[in-house]
Amino acid sequence: MLEFRNISFSFPGRRGPVEVLRDVSFTCAEDEIVAVIGPSGCGKSTLLSLAIGLRKPTAGEVLLDGRPVKGADRRLGMLFQQTTLLPWRSVLENIELGLEIRGELKAQRRKRALALMQQYGLAGFERKYPHALSGGMQKRAALAQTLAIEPTVLLLDEPFAALDAQTRVVIENDVVKICRAGKRTMVIVTHDIAEAISMADRVVVLSRRPATVKQIYQIPLSRKAANVADVPSMQEFTYFFKSIWDALDISVTGMSAAA
Amino acid sequence: MTRLSHRPLVILGRLAVLAIILIGAELGVRYGMLSQLFFSSPSQIFEALLTQWSNGSFLQDAGITILETMLGLAAGSLLGMGIGLLLPQLRLLSSVFEPFLMVLNGIPVIVIAPLFILWLGLGVPSKIGISVYIVFFAMFIPVYTASLRLDTTLVDALRVMGASRSQIFWKVIVPSSLPSVYTGLKIGSGLALIGAVIGEFVASRAGLGHMILYASGTLDTPTLYLGILTLAIFAAALSLTIDALGPVLVHWRFSDEK
Ligand SMILES: Nc1ncnc2c1ncn2[C@@H]1O[C@H](COP(=O)(O)OP(=O)(O)OP(=O)(O)O)[C@@H](O)[C@H]1O
Ligand SMILES: [Mg+2]
Repeated sequence: MLEFRNISFSFPGRRGPVEVLRDVSFTCAEDEIVAVIGPSGCGKSTLLSLAIGLRKPTAGEVLLDGRPVKGADRRLGMLFQQTTLLPWRSVLENIELGLEIRGELKAQRRKRALALMQQYGLAGFERKYPHALSGGMQKRAALAQTLAIEPTVLLLDEPFAALDAQTRVVIENDVVKICRAGKRTMVIVTHDIAEAISMADRVVVLSRRPATVKQIYQIPLSRKAANVADVPSMQEFTYFFKSIWDALDISVTGMSAAA
Repeated sequence: MTRLSHRPLVILGRLAVLAIILIGAELGVRYGMLSQLFFSSPSQIFEALLTQWSNGSFLQDAGITILETMLGLAAGSLLGMGIGLLLPQLRLLSSVFEPFLMVLNGIPVIVIAPLFILWLGLGVPSKIGISVYIVFFAMFIPVYTASLRLDTTLVDALRVMGASRSQIFWKVIVPSSLPSVYTGLKIGSGLALIGAVIGEFVASRAGLGHMILYASGTLDTPTLYLGILTLAIFAAALSLTIDALGPVLVHWRFSDEK
C-alpha cells in the first residue's frame, strides 16, 4: 500500500519558497487504481516525484507498505510526463534499459522487450531511434519501458494524453488489466475526467496551487465494467462526471484568473 | 546539398576551376606576367618537391608536422573530454577551477608558445604541448557546458530505475556529450595543426612550419608554396576524416535505421 501522509512541499524560489502542496493525504491500496486530477500546474507531477523519492517532502511522508520510500526502490515504476527515452538508443534498447540496469541477461531482456513491443503496437520499430517515432508511439514505448521491470507500484504521469482515441482505449484497458491481474498499486495523473472515472477505483481531486485534496470519490464503475470503453455509457457515469467537474471548478473566470 | 542531377556538372566545374588556376599559374610565371619572387608555377613547385624528396627532408618535415598534429589532437581531445565530463560531477571542484580554466583559455596560443619551447625544448614535444593546449580547450568547453546543461529528467528516469552513479555516467552523461565531442573534434582538428605550425614558427629544427619559414628567409618561393600546399592537403584530409566520424559518434542523428 502506498500512503501519502500529510504531504506538504515547497520549491525554494528566488523570492522565498513557492508552496506547491499543502497537507495532501490519501492512500492507494494493493490492487487499487487511484486517479489524481487537478488544474495544470497544481503540483501533480511534483506529488509523484515525492512518491519515487526524487524529492523530499517539506512535511509529512510517503509510505510504502508502512515504511518511508527512499530513492530507487525496485518496487516502484514511473512513467514521466516528459519523454525519457534516451535519444541515442534504439526503441528496443530503450525498452530493455530497466532490465539492463538490473543486470538481467541480454537474451532474457531482449525476449521480454520484443514481446512488449509486439503488445504495444511497436513491432517493426525495434531499430528506430525515438525521434523517428510519433508522439503516441513514444509514449507507448515509454510505457513499455516502465512495465518491462514489472513494478508493483506504478506511477503514471498523464500517460495517455498523446494517444488517439482508439489506441487509448486499448492501452487503458491493458493497463487496468495489468494492475488487477498482478495485484499492483497504481496512481495515474490525468486531466481527463472521463478517463479518471473509467479507470480508477478512486479519484483524488486537487485544488489549485497550493494544492490541497478537495475531494476524494469512490468510483465503483471500473471494476463492474468489462472494458473501460463501457464505463461512459453506465448509469452513474454522468453523476460522477458532474461532481468531479464541479469540484475542479473549471470556470472560465477561474481559468483567466489563474493565467 | 547539391542535387543529384547537378552532381556531374558540379564536379566538372570544380575541375575546370582547378585547371584554370594551374594552367594560369604555369603560363603566367613562365611568360613573366607573374613575378617569380611572389608566385611559382606548378612545375617549379613539383621540382621543389623532387629536390626536397631526394634529400629526404620532405618526408621528414611532413611526417613531423603530421605526428605533432595527430598526437596533439588525440591527447588534447582525450584530456578535454575526460575533464569536461568529470568536472561537472564534482560540483565543488568545478566551481573552484572554472575561473582559472576560463583565464587560461583566454590566452592567445601565439604568446603561450614560447613558454612551451622553454619548457620542452626545440624538438617535437614542445609542438605537441602547444597543440594539446589549444585542442584541450576546443574539446573541454563544449563538453563541459553540455554536461552542465544535461537533461535532468533523463537522469531522474534512470535513477528511479535503480541505476547507480556509474551507470548514469556511462548510459546518460557520456552518450549525451557525444554531439559536443564531435563539435570539439571538428574545431580541435583545425587547431591542432595551427598549434603545431605555430610552435615550429616560434622555434624548431624541422617540420612543415620550419620548411616554410626557411624557404621564406631564403626567398625560395617554390618551396614556400610546396609547404603551404602540403599543409592545405593535410588539413583537408584531416577534416574529411573527422567528418566521417560523425555517423559513428552521433549515429542516432545521422540515421533512422541502424
Ligand atoms: N524544479 C522546479 N522549481 C521550481 N518550481 C517548480 C519546479 N517544478 C515545478 N515547479 C512549479 O511547481 C508547480 C507544480 O508543478 P507540477 O509540474 O507538479 O504541476 P502539474 O500539476 O504536474 O501540472 P501539469 O498538469 O501541467 O503537468 C508549478 O507551478 C511549477 O511552476
Ligand atoms: Mg505534470
